Amino acid sequence: MSCAAEPARPFQPRPPLADGALQRMAMRKPRPALVLALGNDLLGDDGVAFHAARLLRAEYPGSVEVIETGEAGLPLLDYLEPYGAALILDAAATGKCPPGTILRWDREDFRRCVAPSQHSAGLPQILELAERLGMAFPKELQVVCMEVADPTIFRESLTPEAAQAVPAMVAAAREILAGWGCRG
Amino acid sequence: MDTTAQKVWNQAQQQANSGRRNVTIDPITRLEGHGKIEIFLNDKGNVDRAYLQIPELRGFEVFCQGRPSEDMPQLTSRICGVCPTAHHMAATKALDDLYGVDCHPVGRKIRELVYNAFMLEDHALHVYVLGGPDFIVGPDAPKELRNIVGVIGKVGLDVGKKVISMRRRIREMINYAGGKVIHPVMGLPGGVAKGISASELPKFKEIANEGLEFAKFTLQVFHDIVLKNDAYVKLITSDNFTHKTHYMGLVDKNNKVNFYDGDIRVVDPEGKEQAKFPVQKYLENISEHVEPWSYIKFPFLKKVGWKGFTEGTASGVYAVAPMARLNAADGMATPIAQRAYEEYFKTLGGKPVHHTLANHWARVIEMLQAAERLVELVNDPEIISGEFRNIPINTPRVGMGVVEAPRGTLIHHYETDEKGLIRKVNLIVSTTNNSARIAMSVDKAARGLIKEGKVNDGLLNMVEMAFRAYDPCFGCATHTLPGEMPLVVSLRSLDGGLIRELRR
Repeated sequence: MSCAAEPARPFQPRPPLADGALQRMAMRKPRPALVLALGNDLLGDDGVAFHAARLLRAEYPGSVEVIETGEAGLPLLDYLEPYGAALILDAAATGKCPPGTILRWDREDFRRCVAPSQHSAGLPQILELAERLGMAFPKELQVVCMEVADPTIFRESLTPEAAQAVPAMVAAAREILAGWGCRG
Repeated sequence: MDTTAQKVWNQAQQQANSGRRNVTIDPITRLEGHGKIEIFLNDKGNVDRAYLQIPELRGFEVFCQGRPSEDMPQLTSRICGVCPTAHHMAATKALDDLYGVDCHPVGRKIRELVYNAFMLEDHALHVYVLGGPDFIVGPDAPKELRNIVGVIGKVGLDVGKKVISMRRRIREMINYAGGKVIHPVMGLPGGVAKGISASELPKFKEIANEGLEFAKFTLQVFHDIVLKNDAYVKLITSDNFTHKTHYMGLVDKNNKVNFYDGDIRVVDPEGKEQAKFPVQKYLENISEHVEPWSYIKFPFLKKVGWKGFTEGTASGVYAVAPMARLNAADGMATPIAQRAYEEYFKTLGGKPVHHTLANHWARVIEMLQAAERLVELVNDPEIISGEFRNIPINTPRVGMGVVEAPRGTLIHHYETDEKGLIRKVNLIVSTTNNSARIAMSVDKAARGLIKEGKVNDGLLNMVEMAFRAYDPCFGCATHTLPGEMPLVVSLRSLDGGLIRELRR
């Protein structure tokens, strides 16, 4: 009954690039990319993605669009649709790894999930819906989450664990953006 | 990478590699524990009690204390990523009351326009995206089809595209009039922050007319796919999904359904008026029961009393949301919705309707009223007036506001010092109003499907259908990445030992 797919992969740095790869990347025309940060900054660590997003916005002026939103489900289609590549940043509370762990998924991980939505369409449904309806949708889609401890208490600041791991989240995002040819 | 980042990265790697690598992707990565159902079996293997456990967001009152009351419409609209407009409007109305100012009539019309647009959009999403899997696709359809994709398969690609584009157009309208969809900024005590310009009106009229056509089309879809199928009608009216409780909803001065304003009316399980009161009297009429197994409170009718999770006139359990609103009113406020209302009660055996799954049909009828009201408002010449706010001059003290959110009656209550700084906040959100009845629905479904230790495979489906009809907003939190709830059902012996766990 579980829709659990592959275990999420803790973020791994990529191996060094092969000879000539950097030159080829430099010649490639940069594609528009979106960083979509999700969460609720009234709920402490649930807003951790916004902290990472703000750092990325400053780092990639012009080459990456950074959007912060508290929305869920179908409205995310509106944000994702115009972009060729999108990186979603979010908080996760799997309870299965320590707070501060950076987790990473891609589009294929979500494809394996079969779960009816309860409150709003989830990412798996959005992906499939966009495909069925022939909507433009990012061909490249990556998700980077930070495991957080308890996103159910109202507060505006991050816990020390989450605050310390923000640079790691940014590093994970940077790695993905570099792979898409985005430069800060 | 700088040194700090490297250090944190390495720490995270170590943690992730220390024997905890099997992080499973639930479709939900956030708020594990949502929708957790605990079922306790007795010695014979039958259900002793089934509980739906919900983690509640905590600390909101403390969070608000000392903040300026005029921040509340923005602050509360950020509680929930799904229904920000409902919180924004309830908060704005509470500020009217707090500052003792009547909303300017034009400001009221603009608020109503935004609110009805929101109801139409939200209900449409539920019909096609959330409830659709149960009815449009069918309760027996395979799991992989019981989602929006299956719905599109059944109603056709064009309708799918229509749902998406309609939603987007309505949101554009809300965006224009409300400031922002997700954190609306329109509401001010005494009116709204900006008016509607004459140049925008033709577009609004077009969207409103399209919205009405879409609502009519949706009723037709419901007729063709659901009502023409005897098996569905049988399911709607089956005992597993039936509870005879009280019902609550806002009504206008003619006792017709109103989403934005009016008195709170309650009818008993026979359909007789039990209470009718302005929101300022809610504390005299509603009390909250607490159970040790749940964070969520169980509101009940104070004058009837808490008699446990039981049905009937003597029990203070009540329901909110579309079915309850239709039961609590004498009719709809607009003509097409009224005709649909009459057909609904005629088909389901008269008033009140007690079948939880009828919420889906009631929701379609409410879409009609929202769309018809929208058409009325965009054709009202006053809507583009340049005057839309009364300026408050009184000293704030206590304010209460109520709206009908898509998921039911939503109450905001603030108390401030003389400078308008918040001292006390109490919110009764829609799903909380429904919590006792939802618990009863889950319990009933579990009892029907577990006999002598044998678990019927349909358990998850049925339990899920039982509470999905309420369109619950558990925790009222922003469900971000996954936007879904995991469903975990634990079967336990009476001493608490785990017998089996089912997950979705």
